[in-house]
Amino acid sequence: MAEKRDIEINSRADTMDLMNPEIRPWPVTPPPTAEWVMENTYAKRKAEDFGKWSEDNLRFEYAFAKPEALQGKRFLCAGIWRLGNKFCTALLAEAGAEVINIEPPGGDPLRKLTPFGREEYMLEDKMTGEKCGLDFLHEMRGQKSVTLNLETEEGQAIFKALAAHCDAVIDEMPPGYMDNLGIGYRDLSELYPSLIYCNIAVRGTWGPYKDKLSKFGQWTLEPFGGCANAFVHNTGFPQDQLPRKSGGSPTRSGVWFADYVAGEQAANTILAAMYWRDELGGTGQFCEVTGAESQLDILDFDIGWYGFNGSIKARTGGWDPNLNQYAWNPCRDGYMMIGGQTDRLWYRIGMCIERDMPQFGRLIHEDPILKEMGARNALEMLTKTYTMTARWLRNINRIEAEEKLMEYEIAAGPLLFIDEVAEFPHFKYRPWVATIDTDHYGTILYSVPPNNYQMRTPHRVKSMGRPTGFDTYEILQKYAGVGQTKVNELKGKGVI
Amino acid sequence: MAKDLRVTRIEDLPGPKSKEELEEMKMPYEEYCRQQFDVGNEFSKPQALDGIRWLSTTMYIFTPHSVANIAEMGAEVIKIEMPRMGDPMRHTSPFNECYLYPLHDSRPMTGAGMGFLGANDSEYYITMDYHLDEMKEAFYRMVKMSDGLTECYRPGTFDRWKQSYRYVQELNPRFIYVWGGGFGYGPKCFGGSYDILGQSHAGLGSVTGFHETFGGHCAKHSNWCIDWYSGTQITFGMLAALHWRRKTGLGTMIEFSQVQAATRCLGYAAPLYGRFGIVRQRWGNWDTQLCAHGIILCGKSDFPDAKNPQDKYDARYAMVSAFQDEDFKELCAVTGNQQLYDKYKATKDRVEGEAQVEIYAALEKWAEDKSRSEVVKILQDAGLLAEPVMNDREVYESEHFRQRGSIRWIDDPTYGDVLVQSAYSSGLMAKTPRRQTWIWRTVGADNVKIYHEMLGYPMSKVEEWYEKAWI
Repeated sequence: MAEKRDIEINSRADTMDLMNPEIRPWPVTPPPTAEWVMENTYAKRKAEDFGKWSEDNLRFEYAFAKPEALQGKRFLCAGIWRLGNKFCTALLAEAGAEVINIEPPGGDPLRKLTPFGREEYMLEDKMTGEKCGLDFLHEMRGQKSVTLNLETEEGQAIFKALAAHCDAVIDEMPPGYMDNLGIGYRDLSELYPSLIYCNIAVRGTWGPYKDKLSKFGQWTLEPFGGCANAFVHNTGFPQDQLPRKSGGSPTRSGVWFADYVAGEQAANTILAAMYWRDELGGTGQFCEVTGAESQLDILDFDIGWYGFNGSIKARTGGWDPNLNQYAWNPCRDGYMMIGGQTDRLWYRIGMCIERDMPQFGRLIHEDPILKEMGARNALEMLTKTYTMTARWLRNINRIEAEEKLMEYEIAAGPLLFIDEVAEFPHFKYRPWVATIDTDHYGTILYSVPPNNYQMRTPHRVKSMGRPTGFDTYEILQKYAGVGQTKVNELKGKGVI
Repeated sequence: MAKDLRVTRIEDLPGPKSKEELEEMKMPYEEYCRQQFDVGNEFSKPQALDGIRWLSTTMYIFTPHSVANIAEMGAEVIKIEMPRMGDPMRHTSPFNECYLYPLHDSRPMTGAGMGFLGANDSEYYITMDYHLDEMKEAFYRMVKMSDGLTECYRPGTFDRWKQSYRYVQELNPRFIYVWGGGFGYGPKCFGGSYDILGQSHAGLGSVTGFHETFGGHCAKHSNWCIDWYSGTQITFGMLAALHWRRKTGLGTMIEFSQVQAATRCLGYAAPLYGRFGIVRQRWGNWDTQLCAHGIILCGKSDFPDAKNPQDKYDARYAMVSAFQDEDFKELCAVTGNQQLYDKYKATKDRVEGEAQVEIYAALEKWAEDKSRSEVVKILQDAGLLAEPVMNDREVYESEHFRQRGSIRWIDDPTYGDVLVQSAYSSGLMAKTPRRQTWIWRTVGADNVKIYHEMLGYPMSKVEEWYEKAWI
């Protein structure tokens, strides 16, 4: 446990070192021990054997003693600005592949992004002093950085040489950009018929509503994808719950969510194409994954519903039109999520609330319409149920609500912020954020890949993002036969 | 025959080899993509995962989607449901309004809710009460004949039923076994989970929605997006495991926590907190790292006379993006806000919170007397990036998605014409395209095919099991 200190805060600068991992290491309080979990979790369900087997075979800490699933596979990525290509290649790198990330000589502009423009929240390379934004560092994990100006002939020749060593090329440049330069799928497939080539885009590199550049060359970025597939329109509170502009508007995801979805579907597309090439077809192929569409794939049944009866989905805030109860509602110190739709769970929630608030029993349990599982989902029924539930919640804290609901074994949980996530006992036990002591940027807290918990080939994070062009010399020497003298010469010419 | 080095063959030279290839090389990029992806002819091409067989003992959306992903790419997937009842998702439908009925059977209770759409397509459907000792042999037979399994039961349940990885790896060392659920090993191991729990518990909800300064609340992503998105990450684990198995002949077990996957997509939230103690907050329709790059409210609806309130009142939002210096300068000029550009010339300055409040307020003021399409047109004519926030109807009618095949009507063998938005939209592949063979099949529709034809049980046995409700 970190020691208590007296501090005085006069400006933002005084707050900078309060949380440095050297001063206040994560986790602040230790996670539960394995013995505690055995006694209080597995033993209570009489699953000691299974619990022990799981921990012995799946534990995060054992990952580095096990082989990697994609060891020996190699990928080349030309993409800037967006997280789609970064997340795709992060997944491939976590699974053991070597990923060569091509950046323009000045570096990916994503490196310069930092919340609210605050440079003090960027991390400085210990050796060069170069600053890098946290989104980029976090998502460029495991990849190698090579700088290359693809608009020069030398740059294109090197790119082609690198592609010769790769299973797939990931392209997230504007529509037709690589093709115009003579290094798109059309050209590379002539040279390397077994190469897989995957475009990633927001709305697409072809079609009437493909990605655009502004007349000054600015890119289309998220949330344009979510705006094009109705996700934004359908998210947020309706105006009768909150006024417009105060939350009662269509709402974007807080993160570039469609980019993440596109990235993972691109990784799947590439692995499937590789499987087909190696096992069945013998050749590579051309693929394209977009944020707007891969997110459309996962918008439940929304468009299908329009096809069914012309319904246009509206916003329902923290509620879900399909399930009752299944929502988060405000409580005294935040928000509490409560879920349970089947009679068994639904009445248990009621019994729990009824203890503090007998009206719940009368108004909710005795309502004939609410007694039927399907009928409970009618809008008026949702309003009725949640009005009563929120009345109960407003007087209690998240932790009290969780304790009360857990007595009835209901799937419920508080809405947590990242500091609470980082300290939640289960989350730090596994852990699902962890620290890594990096060579360039010091200790970084990062989100652990969920595929990290495996018996034989756990995915893992080996490094965070790298300084711009950190691996240029090594990669060009190794895969393109371009020695350091030549690299320096090309650097002078603006090629690297 | 060895190649004669003295002979120059045209096929060894770089460049086009035939008239067709020459044309292909000259074709505009747009046309080339259309030709390659050849939307609408998916069924004339092979499938990437042909020959893979996967068992899906899954429910709801999360784990089913992980397997539907490979079914769409050609794997043969056998979905196992509880006898009679089926997947609980079959009983889920928005406001309890929409159920699809088989064309040949419209008796009550034969319908399935729209909630079931998209998560289990192109699979075979059987039923089995597999916790019964009597059904164990059939289950094991399937394990021996399959490449893997994905399950979603509470941890330890399959172990109690002697069908966890501990047991099945003895039967089939090549078997890839996936458990997907809420938490995984650890103190909250047995905690149940939903999509919404992932959104709330793991931090995604804390960064989505309008900040309380503006009177807003944490907002839920409209869809069960964490279910779907985590399912897709499981697919990645499965495919990576298949590649490793090609090399070593060994399977693996993957334990995948869905709630954790929500923390994975929070970008800079974890490193920012870990280094500086700053807790990432929600920031409404704007972007924490770019400005201007946000959604604004326009004064007038595009469809003031429409009947549907979503068109009539809500076709009023536009996404406006001009974060680079020149773009922002132009945006300020077009909207008559020159003073904003003078004040916030540097990217760094205009991304600051107070600056964003001022900038978006000025933009909304400018848009006050305009409709969404006017706003978009003015900005697009100025060469800037701006697009409408579209609703489901507009997405359905979008020519773009139609031409790319991502939204289409299919002629489902059981349910007739159904509009689907899934499978085709998750990625285009030129040589082995994804496809949707059917949206789903009725409960136990393929019992005979699997139990009788594949596992070799006589029909009398299959009927007996059915009578006893074991299948």
